[in-house]
Amino acid sequence: MRALIIDDSAVMRKVIERALRQAGLELTEVLQASNGEEALQALRDDGGKPNSLALILSDINMPVMDGLQFLEQRRDEKLAVDVPVVMITTEGSEPLVLRAISAGAQGYICKPFTAEQVKARVVPLLRVA
Amino acid sequence: MLATENPTPQNEIVNRLDSAVSEVFEMMLARSCNPMDEEVSIIDGRIVARIQFTGAINGECILYASSATAAVTAEALLGTASSEPCDPMVDDAIGELCNMIAGGWKSKLEHPQAGCLISVPAVSREGLVGLEGKFGTKFSRTYSFQGNLFGIMLAF
Repeated sequence: MRALIIDDSAVMRKVIERALRQAGLELTEVLQASNGEEALQALRDDGGKPNSLALILSDINMPVMDGLQFLEQRRDEKLAVDVPVVMITTEGSEPLVLRAISAGAQGYICKPFTAEQVKARVVPLLRVA
Repeated sequence: MLATENPTPQNEIVNRLDSAVSEVFEMMLARSCNPMDEEVSIIDGRIVARIQFTGAINGECILYASSATAAVTAEALLGTASSEPCDPMVDDAIGELCNMIAGGWKSKLEHPQAGCLISVPAVSREGLVGLEGKFGTKFSRTYSFQGNLFGIMLAF
């Protein structure tokens, strides 16, 4: 499966990828973006590829374009709208979670996290996707 | 105390910080990390990561460590061996560590303080010069994991 990981920290992108592999996901390709704008461009570039994305994981608090703006823009442009999005963030306040869900996120993981928590929140989304 | 209408007792501020640090190390680095009984002077606190709180709280979470401790921390977070002390990934890792600790501490606050905003991390290699006198109220703690020391200051 192919996944897109969006985080302004290269370290955290590696940590998230490792957690996905530890969760048992067989990743064939991991696209990376350091902010929402880069992620939107990655989705535009990826459109029409036969082996489509199976999962998007995104931070919220990022420079240039944050994760919530990314969700809203993705919805407006109808980019990969059938791909489940899980937010992975230190910002776990209820208003932010609700805003993320209303903008199209299906899951929410707070940092710090364990591989088990990633598995519990991500795998069910893949099964129904 | 925090700059809000309902001041939080000092021991609760520190206990929440200890808890946040412990959670980050156990969950993300698979290491235990404990506070030192007394504040220890970290002579080479060269790498400094800062997260700003704004809104219901105005202040900063400041993490400082030597280059060597920062490199060991980055290795533990990445699960890889031998980060060079000047590797940009080391600065990135220390920034993320500070981010998760600040976020974890914030999440343990009660309304309305928990609604404050946190910035993206800023990391420098210029030590604490100019920072220590900048704030009115400070809580400093020294932590140790596997013999590596680092400090955290909550400043308001």
